[in-house]
Amino acid sequence: MTKDLENTDLLRRLVAAVALGDRAAFRKLYDATSAKLFGFALRILRKDELAEEAVQEAFVSIWHAASGYQAHLAAPLTWMATIVRNKALDILRRQDDTVELDAEQFDRDMMLAIQDPAAGPHDRLQMSDEARALAHCMGTLESRQRQAIGMAYFHELSHSEVAQQLSLPIGTIKTWIRRGLDKLKNCLAKRELA
Amino acid sequence: MNIRNNPVLREKLAAEYVVGTLKGGARRRFEHWLTADAALRAAVVEWQDRLLPVAEWSRTPAPPARVWDGIERRLGFARAARWWEFWRIDGARVWGGLAVGAGTAAVLLAVVLAGRQQEPLLQQVATLTDEKAQTALVVAADARHGRIDVRVADTVKVPDDRTLQLWAITTAGKTRSLGILPDNRHASLRLDQRAVGADVMLLAISLEPKGGSPNPEAPTGPVLYKGAWVRL
Repeated sequence: MTKDLENTDLLRRLVAAVALGDRAAFRKLYDATSAKLFGFALRILRKDELAEEAVQEAFVSIWHAASGYQAHLAAPLTWMATIVRNKALDILRRQDDTVELDAEQFDRDMMLAIQDPAAGPHDRLQMSDEARALAHCMGTLESRQRQAIGMAYFHELSHSEVAQQLSLPIGTIKTWIRRGLDKLKNCLAKRELA
Repeated sequence: MNIRNNPVLREKLAAEYVVGTLKGGARRRFEHWLTADAALRAAVVEWQDRLLPVAEWSRTPAPPARVWDGIERRLGFARAARWWEFWRIDGARVWGGLAVGAGTAAVLLAVVLAGRQQEPLLQQVATLTDEKAQTALVVAADARHGRIDVRVADTVKVPDDRTLQLWAITTAGKTRSLGILPDNRHASLRLDQRAVGADVMLLAISLEPKGGSPNPEAPTGPVLYKGAWVRL
């Protein structure tokens, strides 16, 4: 946990320096976060070329928007990931073909994130407690529930689009997503208290 | 509708807003409430905080170096202008409203095409760069004359037995040939509106055998330069 706090603090200071136009700090911020953000964009867009474009557009926005970043509202990485997600979804909307969610990969990554430390000490060191907690709690959902949430979140699908993709009635999907999110929230709250 | 006194609904809407299932009019209405409701904004941020750590699950390596180069280029951090990049040195400010790359291409093309009787109607432009973000070509679609003008920077050297070929790459990742550059220096290609339509995201140049790629659908040689295709 201490490590996470140090990281968040470092990122916060870097964003503050970027707000003042510090290019070296901007480079450090990029080095510290681009792999995660690229991975995030890749999960939405599935193609390297498009994910690279999303990361570029996002960092251009981050440079310009850094002075408006409100530290008390969101952690720096959350703020940056929101920007990346918006850029990636913009690009996704411009696609001809629908990009499908790779539910298996999503589950594999989740399992890796939950796994015990011996499995991948290097990766785990880079992962925050929040990311591990999210993986644990996602793991408590039913796999189709998780898939429905993933489709909505990563591909901006509506309830009816998710229903269509999974060949299920829309009412079922609405209930699944709502219950899934409730369960996720409760699980995360418990982990925080623990 | 008043949602201030309905904590269950507030929470449900905040979650759906972040997940993305809140659509259309309901989404706009929610965004309107957000502007005047700090507690609702906080609920949204909480949901973002819950879900965004998913970004960390990925085992992807760092993005390739060209991503950073592209960021620097777009922000105009690039190194000092080379002697032949006269359009970088001054005058470019008047194009400030455009993306840096588009401005660069447009200024150059405006100069290149200035001798013509009728001014070109620039519809789209692209600045194609190599992996070190050095500008290698500029391409502009001139809707008035129905041509695509391509100019190659002097620094680009092409072996005698090879030809540069221009491709359009769609958002779906498909490639379409726009033509070859017979002398590898400049070309005026026919503008096929369909070939450079709204679905085209990037232009790219590949190095092909004399006469162009044996496969009309895709490059066979290495892709040397590429750049975003920007609508003006």
